[in-house]
Amino acid sequence: MDMSLIESLRNALPLVSGFIYPNELELQWSILIVLYPYITGLVAGAFVLASLERVFNVKAIKPIYRLSLLVALAFLLVATLPLNLHLGHPERGISILMTPHTSSAMAMFGFVYLWYLMVVLLMEVWLDYRKQIVEWSRSETFWPKRIFYKVLTLGVDNISPRSLAIDEKLGKILTVVGLPSALLLHGYVGFIFGSLKANPWWSSPLMPIIFIFSAMASGIAAVMLIYMFLCWARDVVIDMPCLDTIGKFLLTAIIVAFSLEMLESLQTAYEAEEHFDIITLLVEGKLLVSMMLIQIMLGSLTPMFLLGLTQVVELPEKVRKVFYMLSGSLALIGIFAMRWNVVIGGQFFSKSLRGFTTYKMHLVGREGLFSAIIVELLPLVILAVLLYLLPPWEKESHSKSPTTAA
Amino acid sequence: MKDAQHLLRVIIIFVAALVGFLLVRSFLVPESFGKLGHYRANAVDDVLALPRHYAGEPACKKCHAQQASDKAKSSHRHMSCESCHGALQAHVDSPKTVKPSKPKENEMRAFCGNCHGKSLSRPAKFPQVDLEEHNRGMACNQCHQPHQPK
Ligand code: HEC
Ligand code: HEC
Ligand code: HEC
Ligand code: HEC
Repeated sequence: MDMSLIESLRNALPLVSGFIYPNELELQWSILIVLYPYITGLVAGAFVLASLERVFNVKAIKPIYRLSLLVALAFLLVATLPLNLHLGHPERGISILMTPHTSSAMAMFGFVYLWYLMVVLLMEVWLDYRKQIVEWSRSETFWPKRIFYKVLTLGVDNISPRSLAIDEKLGKILTVVGLPSALLLHGYVGFIFGSLKANPWWSSPLMPIIFIFSAMASGIAAVMLIYMFLCWARDVVIDMPCLDTIGKFLLTAIIVAFSLEMLESLQTAYEAEEHFDIITLLVEGKLLVSMMLIQIMLGSLTPMFLLGLTQVVELPEKVRKVFYMLSGSLALIGIFAMRWNVVIGGQFFSKSLRGFTTYKMHLVGREGLFSAIIVELLPLVILAVLLYLLPPWEKESHSKSPTTAA
Repeated sequence: MKDAQHLLRVIIIFVAALVGFLLVRSFLVPESFGKLGHYRANAVDDVLALPRHYAGEPACKKCHAQQASDKAKSSHRHMSCESCHGALQAHVDSPKTVKPSKPKENEMRAFCGNCHGKSLSRPAKFPQVDLEEHNRGMACNQCHQPHQPK
């Protein structure tokens, strides 16, 4: 055997306990695979928030409609990156689309992803911005930007009321189609895990549903925080009714997601199948901090308590803002921990159900901590570019009061 | 219709993208893909062309008939020669220059113990001996013939 491999095994062995099979020593799905459901979840959540305005006519959140779409787009563009980085040969990732096999859940995800990106999200953003794009293509003075807008108009600068009405109608249809697509996109990620019947920690028909609701919570929390940050950065007053409404939806999403998770745990505990002992050990041992403390206490119960308070007690605006910020951040951390507990947690215990392996995260390298951080920050950079090219606030600036320039 | 012209262009772009996709696909799908199944048929030849490491028992038989016939009658009959002697294609190609290693006398107990040492994780029916007790200090092949242990 290769000497360096033996050396690394020597380091790993003391961290292994009980009886595991030799091929389980190295944990294969790294932090990047944690990011994959996390990022797609943010996409789906942000999109659901946007569709609340469009499909369900929740007028209060109009100010963040476009922002949510851009957030969804920014994260969607990065969603497959962690998967590709995880491959030993990233350049071969494209084969999954070129020669797809219908029995491959991952290959089908590629098409779900493409459908959602091209037909739903890009189209919806474009239709919504088309009027402005045409106007900007006429008025923009900085020439590269003007050319960019010109290209985006596709050479048609017809913004007659009738054409805009068509856009509006089509946009609405797209959102109606988009909503199930967004749920499909993220439910599908849950499905990929839920259908792994070899692993009792994953294999559950509830998995897609739990993923969808936690996705909503994370997406809503992300848009809320980004909105608050942007208002602060641009020195604009936060639209409190809007923020309050987002808070309400965030609370709902967290409650549903958390209840579903607890129901599933309850069922596992009550059924107490042969894998229950190892799962108890897992939850009480290796996942104690990341699950009990971070996911449940900090990530679910605390935001539920804080957001619940804003509902039952009349709180001053300042306090509410702090509460929203806190619970949004905690929810994001908690949902990241949930993805971690699913993906990494599910690989800790052996198929023998009698032992545990361990996960040692690398710092650098393709699957290390640094690439994970870059993958996580990249969508924010993309979002900044999108905000520069397609500012979402142009439309509302006259109707709202963007007072007090500092 | 005039007011939906921009949508017409979108459709054109989508059709162009689809055609582009199919075009790219026709280049990227490997030549012999799908001939035999959902894989590249040429991969079979590629694998055949790789250097071989294991020769397989029929090859050994030609020159080591004695060991082969001994083993065929013994409880080791289901084991391949190379599971004890290691990969030996190189030896088959040039028996004079590449000499296979045999377990040495002082390593014999550890060698046989790899499979026969007592362990809870082995099936209970598998013949196992306690290496500390079973004729301690003596090499296994003093009593058992490796090719005909019993
Ligand atoms: C072409 C004939 C040939 C084939 C095929 C062949 N061997 Fe040999 N083998 C020999 C010869 C000749 C020697 C003796 C070499 C020497 O002593 O220099 C030998 C020696 C050995 C030895 C070492 C004996 C000792 O006393 O050191 C082992 C073990 C062995 N062969 C195993 C195998 C196995 C296992 C195979 C099948 C994978 C195999 N051989 C295939 C010709 C062959
Ligand atoms: C259970 C493991 C095992 C298997 C299976 C096995 N051998 Fe051996 N073989 C040995 C050991 C151990 C020795 C050394 C014996 C000694 O030094 O007394 C040996 C020695 C040899 C030798 C050297 C001459 C001799 O008899 O000592 C040859 C040649 C050989 N084996 C060929 C083969 C061939 C050919 C096969 C397949 C038909 C085979 N062996 C299968 C363990 C095995
Ligand atoms: C690669 C694993 C392996 C190695 C190495 C090995 N054996 Fe075996 N041995 C077996 C298997 C498999 C059987 C057949 C067991 C059965 O019939 O259920 C067996 C059977 C036997 C038996 C017969 C036991 C019985 O009750 O039928 C004896 C004795 C034996 N081996 C001795 C040895 C000796 C001595 C060595 C070292 C030279 C050795 N074995 C090396 C796998 C191995
Ligand atoms: C002094 C001679 C001697 C030595 C050395 C020796 N054995 Fe044995 N072994 C025997 C005898 C005799 C038996 C049959 C005893 C019985 O059936 O109870 C036996 C039986 C076995 C069996 C079958 C046990 C079973 O439950 O069926 C195995 C396996 C075995 N020996 C492996 C080894 C191994 C491995 C070594 C080296 C570590 C070894 N022997 C060394 C004499 C020896």
